[in-house]
Parts: sequence; C-alpha cells; structure tokens
Amino acid sequence: MESSSKPLRRVVLGQPVPADLDDEPLPTEPMTINMGPSHPATHGTVRIVLLVDGEFVQDADVQVGFLHRCFEKESEHATYTQVFPYTDRLNYVSPMLNNVGYALAVEKLLGIDQQIPERAQYIRVIVGEMSRITDHLTCNGASAMELGAFTPFLYLMKAREWLYELLEEVSGARLTHSYVRIGGVAADLTAGFADKLRAILLKLREAVRDADALLTKNKIFRLRMDDVGTIDGKTAIAWGWTGPCLRSTGVAYDVRKDHPYLTYDRFDFEVPVGSRGDNFDRYAVRMEEIQQSAKILEQALDQIPAGPILLDDPQIVLPPKREVYNTIEGMINHFKLIIDGIRVPPGEIYSYTEGGNGELGFYIVSDGTGRPYKCRVRPPCFTIVQTLPVLIKGRQIADIVPTFGMLNMIGGECDR
Amino acid sequence: MLALERLKERFGPAVLHTASAHGNEMATVERARSKEILAFLRDDAETAFDFLSDLTAVDYVAYPPAGREPRFEVVYQLYSTSKQHRLRVKVGVPEDHAEVASVTELWPGAGWLEREVWDLYGIKFAGHPDLRRILMYDEFVGHPLRKDYPKEKRQPLVRRST
Amino acid sequence: MTAAPAPTPQTVTLKIDGRTVTVPKGTNVLEAARQLGIDISYFCYHPGLSAPAVCRQCLVEIKGQPKLAPSCYTPVADNMEVFTANEKVLLARRQMLEFTLVNHPVDCPICDKAGECTLQKLYFDWDSKASRVDVPKVRKPKVVDVGPNIVLDQERCILCTRCIRVCDEVAHSSQLTMALRGDREVLTTAPGQKLDNPYSLNTVDVCPVGALTAKDFRFTMRAWELSMVPSICTGCATGCNDEIQFAAGRIYRLYPRHNPQVNQYWMCDEGRFTYHEIHEGRMGAPTVAGAGAPWEQALGAAAHKLLAPLTHDRARVGVVLSAQASNEDNFALARLAFDGLGLERAYVGGRPPRPERADKILRHADVNPNAAGALAVGRGQLKPMAELSADLERGALRALLILGEELSLTAAGAQAAARLDALVVLACHENELVRAAHVALPLAAWAEIDGTMVNAKHMVQRLRAALPPAGDARPGWHIVSLLGGKLGFNLSWTEPRAVFREMVDKVPLLRDAQWGRTHVPIQLRFAGSRG
Repeated sequence: MESSSKPLRRVVLGQPVPADLDDEPLPTEPMTINMGPSHPATHGTVRIVLLVDGEFVQDADVQVGFLHRCFEKESEHATYTQVFPYTDRLNYVSPMLNNVGYALAVEKLLGIDQQIPERAQYIRVIVGEMSRITDHLTCNGASAMELGAFTPFLYLMKAREWLYELLEEVSGARLTHSYVRIGGVAADLTAGFADKLRAILLKLREAVRDADALLTKNKIFRLRMDDVGTIDGKTAIAWGWTGPCLRSTGVAYDVRKDHPYLTYDRFDFEVPVGSRGDNFDRYAVRMEEIQQSAKILEQALDQIPAGPILLDDPQIVLPPKREVYNTIEGMINHFKLIIDGIRVPPGEIYSYTEGGNGELGFYIVSDGTGRPYKCRVRPPCFTIVQTLPVLIKGRQIADIVPTFGMLNMIGGECDR
Repeated sequence: MLALERLKERFGPAVLHTASAHGNEMATVERARSKEILAFLRDDAETAFDFLSDLTAVDYVAYPPAGREPRFEVVYQLYSTSKQHRLRVKVGVPEDHAEVASVTELWPGAGWLEREVWDLYGIKFAGHPDLRRILMYDEFVGHPLRKDYPKEKRQPLVRRST
Repeated sequence: MTAAPAPTPQTVTLKIDGRTVTVPKGTNVLEAARQLGIDISYFCYHPGLSAPAVCRQCLVEIKGQPKLAPSCYTPVADNMEVFTANEKVLLARRQMLEFTLVNHPVDCPICDKAGECTLQKLYFDWDSKASRVDVPKVRKPKVVDVGPNIVLDQERCILCTRCIRVCDEVAHSSQLTMALRGDREVLTTAPGQKLDNPYSLNTVDVCPVGALTAKDFRFTMRAWELSMVPSICTGCATGCNDEIQFAAGRIYRLYPRHNPQVNQYWMCDEGRFTYHEIHEGRMGAPTVAGAGAPWEQALGAAAHKLLAPLTHDRARVGVVLSAQASNEDNFALARLAFDGLGLERAYVGGRPPRPERADKILRHADVNPNAAGALAVGRGQLKPMAELSADLERGALRALLILGEELSLTAAGAQAAARLDALVVLACHENELVRAAHVALPLAAWAEIDGTMVNAKHMVQRLRAALPPAGDARPGWHIVSLLGGKLGFNLSWTEPRAVFREMVDKVPLLRDAQWGRTHVPIQLRFAGSRG
C-alpha cells in the first residue's frame, strides 16, 4: 500500500477543525492483544499473545498445547497395534500418512520392513497420497476462506469429500481410518476402487484448476499472500522446517525423493519448490503437490500387483476369526497378540516419512514387550509454528491470518 | 559411518558409546561437552548437520530388568541437507542433576523442542532464553512423561491468583 | 554380569549351543542354560520343586545320546555338549505343544489364567501353527470343588503334577494325586482328603494353566489388567516377599516373590488374604470426640488435649509404638516422644501372638510384621502390652499417644484407657479404642506407604506403595511431623526416604539398610508374558 501520501483529513461536520490534524500522527503505545485460542480467522486452536503498536506487531508469543491428548503417555500404555488410532488423530486431515509412518517405524524395529507384501506397499502409497491431497486441499481451501475467498474453499472441500468417501469405503471410517496394520493393511481395496479413484482424480484436477484460477488471479489474495511471511532456506532449516513450507523457500528436501520408502522410487514425480519463501509460494507448492500426488496415484494404480495384503507371520498378524473361535491354537494366537501385543525386540529406531506437513518422524524405543517403551512423534508443524513470531514481527495484524494459515498448524499434530 | 568416525576421531573419549542399528547411527556423548560436540557436528564441513530434526528425551527408570543409569537420555536427531546423512546423538542425564546445555544458539528451532522436554520430563536446558512449559499449563504439577508419573493421575486446573 | 566362576572340583564346565558355561556340580542342564540367558520351555519343572520330567517340553539334544533328553532332569557333566534350539529339538518342542493342546478346551476368554498362562506363552513363542489333529476333545468335569480356597477344572489340566509336588514338598501334606490313565487321566484330591493345607494357594501359582483357580481371585479381575509393585507380606514376622497386584485403586491379590533367604517361592494362604483389610473398615477422616473433622482442626485438638498433661504431669504421659507399623512411622513417633516431648513411658503395641499357627515352613507365631523394627527404634525403652494394661489399671497414666489401633489390652485396661484425660490414636481401622479416643487420625496402611520393616530374622525389607492412602489417611511419619509442629517440635521431613536416611544414621540395627531403587508399577500384560 502507498504510505507516502498524506493521511486523509477527517473532519466531523459541524465541528471546528482541530488545529493539529495535519501534524504528526497520534502517538501510540504498545498494547497487548490476545488472539485465540478460538479465533474465527485461525483454523487451529492456538493462542497468540501479541504486542502491537497500532496495527503493527512488535512481538508475539505463540501458545500451543490446547489439543494435548498425551499421545506419548497413552502410547506407552498401549500395545503397538493400539497406537494406530492415536496416530489417526495426529494430523487428522491426513491420517493415512501417520498410519503409514508409524507402521514403517515398528516394522523396521521388527526387521520385517523388507518383507511387507508388495500389494500392501502400493496400497499404503495410494491411501497415503490420497491423504496428502486432502491435507493440501484443506490447508489451501481454509486459508483462502480466511481471506474472504469462500468459493474456492467450497470447490476444494468438495474435492476433499470425494477422496474421503473413497477412503471411507476402503477403511470404514471417513477421517480416523486406523487402516494400516503392522505387517500390511487391514483390508484390501474395494471392488472398482481403481476406476473410482481415476474418475475422482479427473474431477479433482478440474476443481483444483478452477479454485487456483480464482485465487492466483485475485488481486486481494495476491496482495495478502505475495511477499508476506517471507523466510529464506537457510533460516527455515535452522528453525527445523520441512515439507511444503521448506520447499517454498527453494530447498527441495522431500523424504519421498531423498530417502525413498515403500515404492516411491518407482514413480515419476517432481518435487515443486518456490523461490521467495512467502505465503504465496507455500500456497503454490501445495497446489502443485496435489498435481504430483495425482500423478503418483495414477502410476500406482497402473503398477499395483495382485497378492496378499498382510504378512504371513502368526506372531505379528491376527489369525482368521474362524480359527479363533473354533481352535485353541487360533484362540491363543489371537489372545496373545491382542493382550500382550506384538512383541518387538529391544532397540530403538528413528523412522521418517513425508507427512502432509513435512518430515513425520517416529522415534520408538522398545524394551522387548508388546508396547512401546517410548513412542515419540516428530510433528512437522510443531517446529514450523514456533517460527510464526519471526514471520509476523513488524508486519500488520492482518498479515497474521494468511501467514498462520499457510504454516498449516494442525492442532492434533502440533499438540499431540 | 563417516560422521561417527569423524566424531570419534575429533572427540575420542567424550564419545562414550556408538552403535548402528536398523540403518540408524547413534552416538552417546559426554554431557559436559554436548553443546561443543553438537556445534562441531553442525559446523564441520564433513558432517554438516545443519538440520536438527528432532529433540526429545527418554526416561529409562523403568527399563527392564532394573532400570538404567543415568535415568534420562536427551536425544538429538540430526540431518544434513547437503550430505543427506543422519546421526542420533544421545546425552545421559542423571536424575539428581537433570540439566543439559541448550542448543538454541545452534538451532533456533530447538527452542520449542527443549521447552517440551522441560515440560514433560523436567530436564532443564541451561542457556535457554525462555524455558517455560509448552504443552501443559503453567499450574500443572510434575512432569507427566516421567515413568513414575501415573497415567491415571488427574490434576484439577487450578489457576493461581496473579 | 559377574565373571564366570573358575573351574574347581565342585564345578562342571560344559557347552550349550556352542557357548561355554561353568556351573556347580549337580545343576541340571535347564538351569545351566538359563545362566547363559537361553530359555528352554517347560511345564512340569519348577526351580523350587523336584523334577519328575513328565511334560517332555524341555527336551534337548546332548551330543552322543541317541534320544533327546529332558534338560530339567539331566545333571550337567564335564565336556557335555548341549543343543537347545536345533531343528530336532525345535520340532520336538512344537510337537509336544501340539499334543498338549489336542484336548485343551478353547477357554481363554473365560479362563482366569489367561494372560499369565504358560501354555499360551509357550505355544505362542515356539509353535503358533495350526493343529494337524482334528478329533473331538475329551470332556472332563470343569468345576470340581477341591478345597475351601480352590476350584479345579480337570479339562484344562495338562497333568504336569506341579501342584501335587507343592503339597508334598512344600506343605508336607499329600492331598493331591493323579487318577485314571491316558487321555482320561485327571488330577484329583487323594481319597478322603481336601486340598486345605495352609499353603494350598501355591498350587494355583504354580499351575501352568487355569486348572486350579483361587476362589478369592477367580472372576474378579483379568490378570493382565493388574499392575504390580514388589513389597512384603505383613501377616506375620516372617515377612514373605510378595507382589501387590492391583488395578484401579484396589488390590486383587498378593503373589509370592522369590527370595531364597526368606520364603523361597512360597507364601501361606492366610498371608495372601491380608489385603482384604486394606479395603475394609478403614478410617475415612480424622475424628474429634467421635465426630469427623478436617485435618487441621483434628491436629489442633490433639495438641490441645495433650498439652495440659504434658505441661503439668509429663511423667504420666505415655506413647505406644506399633509392631504393625513401619520403621519410619515408629522412628518418627519415637523422635517426637523422646526428643521432642521428653516422655518416659513408652510401650509397643500389636496383635497378640498365635502360637498355634507356627510351623517350621513359613508361618510364624508372631503375627506382627515389624516387632523387631519397633523395638530397634524404641531405644530399649519399650514396655510390652501387659505393662501398659497394668499401668492403665492402676492409674499411672493420664494421657496416651498411640500409633496403630491394635492393642491387646485387658478388658480393665481398655476401660481405663477410655477414661484418660487425653487419648490420641493414629489408626488404620475403626475399633473400640478409636471410638474411645478424643482424637483419632487416619493412618495410611501398609499397601499405601513406602517404608521398611524388620522381620524375625532381623532382615530389613521394603514396603512399597501400591495405592494412594484410603480416604483422607496420611502416612504415620507425616502425621507425627504435623503433630510435632503443633506441639512445638519441628520435624521437617517431606518424604519417607528422608526419615529413613535419618533413621539409618541413628539406629544401630538398621545401619546397613538400603532404600532400594525407585519402582514404577509394572503392568502385568507388559511384563514380558510371565506365564
């Protein structure tokens, strides 16, 4: 905005014009303002205590923890399998990615990560990439809405719902899927899954294109996004950034490319990066990643082989119910896996995958029993959100909304 | 492997233990020199661990069969974006003097991570600019991820008068 | 790890799975392997009992022997070479499990042993394959009342005979036997006998399956839901080591814990039932003149009551320590009484001895767990209950401060106690004495405190808290320090360990006592599948 022009004279009719109206602007004094924890313009339960000088942010204290559900403490008292529902509730807009990340960590500790059936690995890629798309759709859609663009939000949410419906068909739950199992996945893809997904991807691309056109060519949107919340790559790395936020600064770190897991090394896809590290770059990177994920999905649907979806190991995978109810052998196997849990040899692992918000790490320490001795999740948005004060200091209060939105804080993941 | 060797060559006896398992490399280092060692790992051209991927702690008091000494371990997960290698650095922390040097000067991103470890494990980080609770509320008593904090324990939220 | 003992004429050196181990002569192969951390599966063997080698589950290959040998029954020999996990052994192990399971009922969901069952554990660890046998299972009686404390399910029994040997070798009363043959063979009581010996519940512990279940425990709680802290039994002066097993603020059973110097692997039935008193008839809140009162008020009232006799008639104020309470509680009270208040009359209370229960196994005539400890912290000044009764009857006392409600007073003594100018009692349970007291303060019981006790062999052992104190109760040392504050004597302990530290400095008998490590309750389901 132009700031060099003279401020407008404000005169109340019938009142004498004050002599000092054209003088220096009114002196302001720093003021503490509380934003949140339930603020209509932030999609996330977070409290920001601002020190403002007029409209300008002098300092900010970001307070998180409102959604703390004791993920680690609960996991330390649950069997390895019982942790899956907790992982659903980490980044709850991309639960499948959390499921997959956690399963991979435990499987590495068990030493079975190379034996997971190929079909199960492809299924994990497919549901994971679908989740990544829902994650990015939510982030960009909701952020646009917070800037007043309600139509693109509806377009993107509608597209998200197509994917959720298909994931629900596969897993039984719209949001909290708990679909992945140690050793594979809970159920095979449903009949006609591939055709449905291909049809959805077609519609999705269209919806994303429309929403994108409504936003990137919208002056208000661009003015509030461009060059707002800028950060350079080196600083972002020092603050622990990963994922789309880091890539917006031009650093092309993507776990899927740099340290491929599952079958990611068999797909042709690009890692989009930004150049300025501002809010618009973060938006654009996410939009492009949706396209890349769609590309991966199409390749995965072409490549996926037939075969088992679970490892054949009675000490890890539950026996069929028919045997559980009718034979003592099946009963004992079932019982031991449910009550004692899958016994994981003593050791520790840090396993990392590319989550919706970046490097989703699981640091698990096992003591040889059926529950994790420690189950730490590295929440990608936690380290990113702590950078918010750096991004908004010296800027106007209104800049907080797009900047915070583009960091994509997910309370479930950040607060655990 | 390279990073581990470089570390051992440079710091010798201050590297108490090294191991490699499940594709992860780890080194346990002396607490008194942890910050110096981490600074070296960040700045050395061969190790170049510019990225502190995670920082957490483990309470080993109930580790079977009879618990471990020292009771806590602070765990740093390092990554090098240029070399694309990783290293886990661990620092043993005794219960009666639960404190390590803060690495916020090396990686500003450690700020919240250290606050979280303080909040949940009660380990202090010397030199941290703002060591407050982060996930729990200020009035919370105790450190819930310590193994001797019962999972069933409930605390009413009582606001201290200010 | 301790260094391996050097070979001597009393030791034998052998090779197990390619690793060398030196063990005392006469050790069996199974125990020798255990020293190397090699786990051999077994049902009938128990380290505290003789080895009949009936289950054939522990078969191993010994070089030079044509057949597999039961490792529990085979003593080690020099230059022996044992294979515990080669293909032949593993096959035998799997096939034995397959046999054992042929007639085993599909009972896990309704079986009390499920979750801590050896059969479940061994099958899951070593076999976990479907059975190749498909014939109807042999049916047997499922609810056989074999004694006052135990129910037998003959279908679940895998005929290991551990329970028979517990009766024979531990309780020295042969009450169980096998009857019939082949797949009809059953465990039963010997003709004309009931399983009613005072150690009968050990048969339930050693039962590798859910054939024998305790009436006290069965169908009350699933075993895997329990958590455990190691502690000691407070039923008598033996101080058997036990595990307090609890869930959701309730104790469900006491379980013997191995200690070669005290109780081996065993515990008497009476001791196991002592947990009931933790949950029955407890004092909920402090009382002043019989009416409930907040702590602060009750402590004030107690101090107020005691103050007049203390100032004017100190020689007629007495204190009673307790053989039922921990060393810390007794020590705290002794400090207050002797150092703070300068009292001269001190007694020790507790339950009266029961000579009829004593045997040469574990049961002791003294049914107080800490008589030795109370005497040790009492500075040699404690007089027995008989003298307290006598002193009360002849009016030699004006006021009493009592730890523990269990005093074996004469009827006249009890009446005299009720007429004292001041009677202050720290009590776990309500009784006549508590009702007669001017002020009664609720005391945390043995399962609710961290502390130490001294058994009849003068061994200092640790009590560990499994539960929070019932109602408004507090640990004795804490009450004493609060009361001391009201009476102008500062005792600034904040935790039992601080009392302990001070105590070991001052009490010669306890000089070498150790507090032991911090113990976090272990959930049994995650205790490595104990089986």
